Formats: sequence, structure tokens, C-alpha cells
Amino acid sequence: MRWRVMVAWLLAGSAGPLWAGQLVVRISDAGGHAVGDAVVMVTPATPASTPPVAPVTRYVDQRDETFIPYVQVVRPGDRVVFRNSDGTRHHVYSFSEAKAFEFLLRPGESSPPLALDKPGLVAVGCNIHDHMIAYLLVSPEQAQVTPSQGQVAFEHLPPGVYTVTVWHPQLRPGLAQPREIRTLGAGEEVQQVDFTLSLIPDPRGFADREHLDY
Amino acid sequence: MRAAVGFRLRLALFFVATLVTVQLVTAALVYGVTRRALVTEGERQLAVNAQAFVAQMDDLSARVAGNVEVMALDYALRSAIAERDHGTVFSVLRNHGRRVGASRMQLVGLDGVVEVDTADVRASGQRFAFPDLAEHAFDRRTAAVVSLQAKAYWVVVVPIYAPQPVGLVVVYVPLDDALLAHLRELSALPGDIELAVRPGVSGWVAAAQGLKHAGLVASLAGQALPMRPAVRSIKGREYLVLAQPLSQARSSAPVVAVLGYSLGDALRPFRAVVIAWAILLGLGLAVGLIGAWLTARSVSRPVESLAGAARRIEAGDYRALPRLDRRDELGQLAAAFAAMADAVRQREEHIRQQALHDQVTDLPNRVAAEAAIDRARDAGTTHGALLMVGLTRAPDIIKTMGHSLYDRLMREVGARVGRVAASAQLARATDTQFVAWLPGADRTEAVASALRILDALNAPYVEADVSIDTLPALGIAMYPEDGTMASVLLRHGEVAQFAATGSTRPLAFYDAATDPHRTERLSLMGELREALDHDRLVLHYQPKLALASRRVDGVEALVRWHHPRRGMVPPQDFIGMAEDTGNIQRLTRWALAAGIAQASRWHARGLELKVAVNLSARDLGEAELPLRIGRLLSIHGLPPGQLTVEITERAVIGEPETAMRVLKGLADLGVGIAVDDFGVGQSAFAYLRHLPVSELKIDQTFVRHLARDANDQTIVRSIVELGHRLGFQVTAEGVEDRGALEQLAAIGCDHAQGFFIARPLPAAELAGFSFERAGIA
Repeated sequence: MRWRVMVAWLLAGSAGPLWAGQLVVRISDAGGHAVGDAVVMVTPATPASTPPVAPVTRYVDQRDETFIPYVQVVRPGDRVVFRNSDGTRHHVYSFSEAKAFEFLLRPGESSPPLALDKPGLVAVGCNIHDHMIAYLLVSPEQAQVTPSQGQVAFEHLPPGVYTVTVWHPQLRPGLAQPREIRTLGAGEEVQQVDFTLSLIPDPRGFADREHLDY
Repeated sequence: MRAAVGFRLRLALFFVATLVTVQLVTAALVYGVTRRALVTEGERQLAVNAQAFVAQMDDLSARVAGNVEVMALDYALRSAIAERDHGTVFSVLRNHGRRVGASRMQLVGLDGVVEVDTADVRASGQRFAFPDLAEHAFDRRTAAVVSLQAKAYWVVVVPIYAPQPVGLVVVYVPLDDALLAHLRELSALPGDIELAVRPGVSGWVAAAQGLKHAGLVASLAGQALPMRPAVRSIKGREYLVLAQPLSQARSSAPVVAVLGYSLGDALRPFRAVVIAWAILLGLGLAVGLIGAWLTARSVSRPVESLAGAARRIEAGDYRALPRLDRRDELGQLAAAFAAMADAVRQREEHIRQQALHDQVTDLPNRVAAEAAIDRARDAGTTHGALLMVGLTRAPDIIKTMGHSLYDRLMREVGARVGRVAASAQLARATDTQFVAWLPGADRTEAVASALRILDALNAPYVEADVSIDTLPALGIAMYPEDGTMASVLLRHGEVAQFAATGSTRPLAFYDAATDPHRTERLSLMGELREALDHDRLVLHYQPKLALASRRVDGVEALVRWHHPRRGMVPPQDFIGMAEDTGNIQRLTRWALAAGIAQASRWHARGLELKVAVNLSARDLGEAELPLRIGRLLSIHGLPPGQLTVEITERAVIGEPETAMRVLKGLADLGVGIAVDDFGVGQSAFAYLRHLPVSELKIDQTFVRHLARDANDQTIVRSIVELGHRLGFQVTAEGVEDRGALEQLAAIGCDHAQGFFIARPLPAAELAGFSFERAGIA
């Protein structure tokens, strides 16, 4: 009975975004602090027929021996350009399965656009500056990167069942990726999803590492 | 000597014991304080070193981690890891492992599975053995000790970023003996550092040792390891032991660092102090002993010397007395000692002088004379003469003139003898006698000297208004004929002198045959006493014939002695001797008892026989005699009239008063009293007048020839007449023929006694005789 109602409700929801729900995702660490640079992905149980989005070119700047931004979500097919805005060379590389590459960028030089076709995580480092790390998360799903306040909101979600997945560069390795399943009903429903992440120290920068006593 | 050594030894021992005691107590205190301080210091050091050990491990972790990080930054390695190029990773890990001193390197994936293991290829694909270490490797430095196959390893887990975390490199640094030895050297801990693992429940096992020989863990096997510093004995040496827990993997067997602080090693720096102290103690002892010895010697030497002097004085040597030039007490003692020895010497000389000299005449005394004679004999004198000079009137002179004049007289006598017998050794033998010893003299020379001496003494001693004749008597005893010992010679000389005193010649040689003082007499007396005690004497009875009735009505009891060896001993041989030696009273007592007993037996049988018993002069001096005789009479129930006692006139003269009382007492009893040997000797008619005499016995000298000698007839007749006139019975003794008997009967004598009538007979024979011969005619 309930199952049938639910199916009917799902069908109804899929009929059209007459009523939109909202998921507010809040990320905090074990100490209760808001966590920025976390990627929150919301995957509907029923893949929505989303209209194709035109590929865009993303930029990963290198300024003050830092990749900016640190974490970026791209859609498959997007291109990324690494731009060296520093006065030093950077040896940008990635051994990731999603995309392995290697660029030697002189000051002011930019890499050729690099197409990111495969979903997955592309960890980018600089072989010259170990503390330079950036992440490009190639994901077809709706995804947002949390600001330093640690909270993002997904609006206008049709009723349905959603899987909320969180990724963070400092997520403790070896643990299952945190995820929550939420069902949004009809109406202006706002659901809040809280994640408390177990994070390892920020691997960027010598200062941090020294702080870790390594 | 022994006492002195004892004193010295005691003083030295006391000193040494005090020193040693003080030193040992001090040493014990110092040792106790030092040891406590060392234990405290050891506890502190152990704590510090335990922390240092942990810090060393941290440093090790940092060094290893730094190395691994550098390694992990290698682009090629990152690339190889990222691309799962395990062959490359293996070689890189092994290479870096050597650099950091690791014996084993592992690459562990983020999923906790070992991807590469340099020590064990088969470990790939297995789960990492210490997941708790991997868990926190990204958060903080992760390093811990683990135990594998009873070996300890320091495990450092380093995350690998490429650039994101891709895995963990696990470095195993063996905590082996070499490392611990290095740490021990760095620690400067006097002791050892060991690692103990407990692979099972059995106990702790040493995984590594800093020193091979210490063996802390091995020695403590089976015990709980002390988590606070505690004193333990390790192979006989004392250690402070502390077990320091180390950070370790949960899944590993327990591993602790065991730190030992050797108290012995810590004490080693103090050994020099101990040696110095011991040397000081030894030196102190030596110096102290020498000092004590010297001090004691300064005391004991003089004491020993004084003791030696005392022993010499004891032995009679007064020379070489110690002189101590000291002003202290010992000096005073020595001075007092010398004074004492001097006084003792003077006194001894005086005593010796007194002992060997006569004070009156200043001549040697008898003891000195005997010693001189014995010395001469020992010196080989073959012959000599001893002249004993006595003054026969000496007792009279003393009584008459007093001692002081007598002393002067004796001085004069001594001087006169000394003048005429210059070659003689003169001495005063007794109060009244001088002895002159003529060594080498023969009889002729002895007589010549004797005559000279007698000549010299014949002149009267004249003093003021008295003139005294000394009446010397001189006895000569010849050496060696009359004796070889001085005492014997002296005695024999004295005997000879007594003999001279009693004779007309004032000079006599000793004659052993006439010596009434022969020593054998003493033995005879002893035997007499024994015979008395054992009743070996018998009484024989000589009958007395009543001339009127021609009947035997009385007997005289005469003692007979059958000596077991000598046979029959004649009465004259022992009675006189018994009188001289004081045994006569016992003899009389026995004779009275036996005679009275026999008389009473006869009386009981109806025989009227009066029994006469002889008394001696000494018996009459015994005041209790009448009492005793009375008691004997009453015991035996004999009428007193049946007993007669016979006395001599001489006996009465001795002590007339007592004798008179005794005789009166006897007469009062009713006992008859006969005067024996009447008519010879000192007849004193005066006594007769007073004596309670009942009978006179005419001496046999008047009776023996009575039959033919008219004079004797006259005397006997006169005595009989006198006796009868005075109221006495008269008995004639020594009747040896019929003529005498008839004469006596004619004269009117009452009784006759003699061999013609009967010899003395035993009591048994007498009984028959008295009846058979009753009518002798």
C-alpha cells in the first residue's frame, strides 16, 4: 500500500516541477566547525532528463604557489586550463585515473585546454611545489562546493528520493564516502542534511605539515 | 711477664677496637648516606633516561619520517605508486629502507592491504598487521614499538601523497642490540638498557640488550617488571630497575624498555674514597698500635722490672733492685720497692742471726751446729769428734742465782771453752749444754780437748761476791762410729754427757750398749701399748708363805710379757722403760684390773689369797688412783683387805704430798700397803712414821744369805722387830733355801717369799699349788 502510494507520488513528482523541494546540506568536522571545500552531490533516484549543458572551460590559476580554486566541480566534457600567474615555473601533474597529465608551465604560461571526459576525481599537484594541490571533481550530478560557512542549498528539487554524497579532499582515506538518502515530498519542503566529516589534516603546504610534526 | 703482655695487649686492643669501631660506624653511616643518595640519584637518572629513551624513539621517528617523506616526494616513486608499479615501488622502498636503517618497508594501501613488502613477498595482499597504527597515520606522527618473532621493531607509518593520499609507507627499524648499545652510550647511564617482550603469557624475554653481560631481563624472568624504580639483584649485583612502557601497537605483544642503574657501577667513583679511607684506617691502626705499644711499654717495662725484682727478692736475691729515674707514680713505687727490699734484707739477716745464733753467748746455736757438722760430712770429713759439755748444776744455779747471772756464767763458760778448744767449732746446744765439733779428731785428740775444756771449767766462776762451781760433765760421740748425722751425734753426745753426769768421772764416751734411750725402746713401748690393748700380758703370781701357819695366804702379782717375736720379755727390760716413757700407768692400770679380777675369782671360790700389785712412783702421783681402785673392787666384789699395793720408798720421795694423799686414800679404803725393797736405797724412817703402811718387805739382799750371814740375821731381826713395833706385817723376799726359811721363822717374820717356796706361777697352776704345798716344811 505504502509502496504503491510512494510510486504514485514519485510518478507524480516526475510529471513536472510543479512543487519544488529544497535540501540544505551542512558540513562540519568532528570539532563542530564548518567545513569548506567540501563537494556535496545530490543524485536523484530517478535520473532526471536534464537538458544537455554546453561544455565550458574552467581555469585553475596558480598564484602565490597555490592552485585557485582548491576544489572545483566540473561536468564531464568540460575543459580545464592551468594558468601560471606566478613568477616561478610550475610542473602541474596528475596521476589520477580520471585524467593523467603533465604540464610544465613557465611564468605567465597557460596550458592548453584539457578535456575532462571521465567522471571521477582528478588530483592535481605541482612537482616543484609539494604543497600545491588542487582537486577537480568530474561529476555529472548536481554538485556544489561548500564555502567556508560549510553550507550549501539545493533548491527547486522535484519531489523524489535523493542521495546526498559528500566528498572532501581531507576525508580520511579508507573510509566509505559519506552519503545520505532523503526523500523530498510535494510542496515547499526544506530538508536539512548534516554531515559530520572525519578529516585528516590539510596536506597542503609545508607549514601545515610541520604543524603536523611530520 | 704474662700479666704485662696482657696489659699491653689489652691497652692496644682497646685502642684498636675503639678506632675500628668508630671508623666502621663512620663508614657504615657514610655508606648508608651515600647509598641512599645514590639510590635517589639512580631513581632520578632512571626517570630521566626513560624519558630520554622515549625522546630518542621520537627522534628516530622524525628522522625516519623525514627520510620517507623525502623519498615519497620523488616524482618517479609517486608515479610508480599511483600507477601501481609494484616492482619499482619495491626497489625504491628497499633502497630507502637501507638509508634509514630499516630492516623492512611496506607500502600499505588506503584500504589497509599491504601492497608491497620488502621483507616478505608473500605479505602482499594481506592486511596490514597493525591497523591501529594506520588509522591515525594521516592525523599525527604515528610510530610505535611492535614485537615480531620476539624481536622488537620501531614502526613508523608515513602517509604518501600523490598529491592526494595514496597509501602509507611503513618503516620497520629494528631495535637491536647495536641500537640499544648506542642509546646506552648516549645516555651515560651507569647500567644498561634492554628491551623486553612478552610473546606469550609465559614471561618477559629480552629482545635486545645494550650490554651483552648485564642480563637485566633474563635475571628478572618470572618476576613482574617494576614500573617504578626498584632495587633488584641482577647476577649478584644490585641494580635499580625501571620498566618504561613504550607507545606500541595494540595488536603487538607487549614491549617495554627496561633500564637498569647499577649501584655498584655508580659506587665505583667512591671506591677511591674507600681505598683512601682504608689506607687511612690502616695507617691510623698502625700508628695507634705502635703508640699504644710504646705507651704500654713505658708503663709495663718498669712494672715488669719491679715484678722481676719481687721474684728475685722472693728467691732471696736482694741485689740489683731497679732504679727508675722517674718522678711519676712508678718512680715512687720503685723507690718504695727498694726501701722495702732493704728492710726485708735487714730483717732477714737479723732473723737468720737469731735463728742460728745464741743471743746470750753469741755462739752458733744447735741448728747452726748441726748444719755445720752436716756440711763437714758432706764436704768429705772422714772422722771427727763431738764434745757435749754440760753443767750438772745448771738448774740449781738458775734457781739460786737467777737467769741474768746464769746468762753471764754461760757467756764465761763459752769464752773459756772457746779459748782452750780453738780448733773446735763451738756452739751452744741447749740452755745448759755446749757442743764442740772437732773435725778430723780421733779419740785421743778428743780426750785431750775434753780434758783441756774440763780443766778450764773446773775453776769456779767468780763474780762480785759469788763464786760458783760449774761442775762440768762432758760426753764424747765419735764420727762416724757413733753416728753420721749431726742430730744423731748430738743426741749420742748428750747421752754420753748424761752418763758422765751420773758417774764419778766427768768424762764419758758414748756407749751404745748402755744407752737407755736407744730408739728400739720406743718401738718396744709401742708394742707394749699394743700388747696392753690386746691383753697379751699375763700376771704370774708368786706365793707368800705365812710362816706361822705354814700356809700360802697371799701372792705377789708379777707382769709377764710373751712377745710374739722376742719371746718372753724380762720385766726389767720393759718396766723401767715404761716408767721412763710414761707407759707405766697404763701397765699398772692393767695389772690392777687383772689382779683384782683374779683375786675376786679366788675369793669367790673360797680361796683366801691376798693379792699384791706393784705401784710405781708415777702411779702415786695420780690423785684418782684410790677412786679407781675402789671402783674396781666394788665391780669385782672383792673385799679391800684382799688387795695389797706394793710401793718403793723412792716412789714416796718423788712427790710426797700427792703420794701421801693417794696412800691415805688407799688405806682408808682398807687396801693393804706394803713397802717394797725395804732396807736398800734411801730408807727414810721419817716417812714410815707418816705412811699408812701395813707391811714391810725386806729386800732380798738381806735374805739371800740369811742362813749363814750373822750380820744379815741381825739386820733382818731388827727390821722385823722394828716393823712389828710399828704395827707392820713383815715379809722377807728372796728366800732361796730352807735355812733362810727356818731363820725367818725363828726370827718371827710373818711371811716369806722366794724361789724356795715357789716361783711366780700362772693363776691356773697356783690354784693347785696352794693346796698341795699348803704345809711346806
